[in-house]
This record gives sequence, C-alpha cells and structure tokens, in this order.
Amino acid sequence: MYGWIWRHLPGNAWVRALLSIVLVLAVVYVLFQYVFPWAEPLLPFNDVTVDGQ
Amino acid sequence: MRLVVRTFSELCLTVGTLIVLFVVYVLYWTGVQAGIAGAAQIDTLQREWAATPVPAAPGPSPARVRPPYVPGRGIAVMYVPRLGREWKWPVLEGTGTGVLKKGLGHYAATGRLGETGNFAVAGHRRTYGDPFKDFPRLRPGDAVVLTDGTTWFTYRIDRGPHRTVPGDVAVVDPVPGKSRFDGPGRYLTLTTCDPEWGSSHRLVVWAHLDATQPVTDGRPQALDS
Repeated sequence: MYGWIWRHLPGNAWVRALLSIVLVLAVVYVLFQYVFPWAEPLLPFNDVTVDGQ
Repeated sequence: MRLVVRTFSELCLTVGTLIVLFVVYVLYWTGVQAGIAGAAQIDTLQREWAATPVPAAPGPSPARVRPPYVPGRGIAVMYVPRLGREWKWPVLEGTGTGVLKKGLGHYAATGRLGETGNFAVAGHRRTYGDPFKDFPRLRPGDAVVLTDGTTWFTYRIDRGPHRTVPGDVAVVDPVPGKSRFDGPGRYLTLTTCDPEWGSSHRLVVWAHLDATQPVTDGRPQALDS
C-alpha cells in the first residue's frame, strides 16, 4: 500500500518525501478535525449527566 | 505470498498508529481544545458583564429582571477551591455533548443560580480538560463559588460525593432525592461520571446557598481560604 503510493508520487526522492509528509499531515488533520470528534462521543467519557438513558 | 504478508503488516502498522493518535486526541487534544474554549467562554461572559454595569444600589435587587438562559450560552463562572486555586470553568446552559466540550453544563430543566430550587451542573470527569477529575475529594463544608457578573454566590457542600446510577434523575429535583434536604431551598447539585473512565455510575454532591454578595464588594472570602 505504502509502496504503491510512493511509486505513484511524482518527482525525485526529495519531492516524494516532501509530498509524503504533506500527505501524512493532511491525514492527521482530517483525523483530528473530523474523524476523532465523531468517534469520541461513542466512548463512555461523555456520560456525565443523570438523564435515565 | 510476500505481497499478502507485506499488506498485512502495513495494515497492522496503520491500525497501531491510528490507535496511538486517537489516544493522543482523547488524553491531550480534547484538553487543549476545552481549555481554549473554556477561556473564550469566560472572556465572553466577562465582556458581557463589563458592558452591562452593575446597578448602583448595593445588595440584591429583587426588582431587577434577570434574562432567561440561552441554550449553549454562558451563565456563570464556577470556582471550587478544593479542586485547585486556579480551577475555574464557565457554566453553560444545557448538558449536550457540544456544550460540555466548552465547560460545565447546567441542566436546562433545573433551577436558576441563587434562586429557590436546584441549580444542577454536570461536568466531565475525564477528557475535555478533566474539570471534575478530583470530584471524589470534595467534602461537606467545601465551598462552590459562582458569579453571574453581578453577584457572588457561595454554596457549601452538605452531602457527597454520593454514588448513584445514571437513571437516578431525582438527584437534580428541586428538593434533591437522597440529599436529606427536607424542604424547598436554594440548592446546587454537581454531577459527573464514575468510574473515572467509565459511565456505569454517577457521582453527585449537593450544596446549599450559604452567602451572597454583590461583585462590587470584591471576591468572597471562601475563594482565598
């Protein structure tokens, strides 16, 4: 999977490394901004009220 | 064969990294965000309070109409000396997930701050700044101090921490169940989850209004003792 991505990135090794870092940062950003905030309330840390549910 | 092994190990690595990142998010990043959001809420409240000057007449003025609470908006700032000298969090209206990410939440159906009834507040035990991490250290006699910009309200804890089940909604009643309060009064209830990282139970403390003073008289003594 990662080898496939590496082979399909354009440019020489330096450009590919730079693009890889940008890709990793983009993935982390999406995870922290969208995926984790969605997943976190599914865990029990949010249940702090008495509501009978 | 080699391709299968490689893909499998790459998958394991990816899942492992994901889990580590998620733990970082839950343990650290939610706290950073809640700290920023909480401070911003306190800022907003203080700016609103500065814009509406305190009435010149000292003492509580019953004639003054207090605005209704707006869902998701700040109501007051809470201080609990037992939880730390620097411990202060905004109390917002409502107890939805989004509200509790920014501070403590006031149960919408319960009483108003300082008035007869039960001002009930929920907060995170863990994650989102861990506001009620040390909840079990609260003891009868501890002060819970709130300000709404015009008045300081000093509540004193009477009972707790009491462990109960999530369905025990009577603990936020106007005269809270199991609190041993025997009639209507100006009460305060705090709730959070128990165990620390779980949700099988709730911890509750009850307090009664002990003293009020206008903000023009300075900070209440309970904050500095």
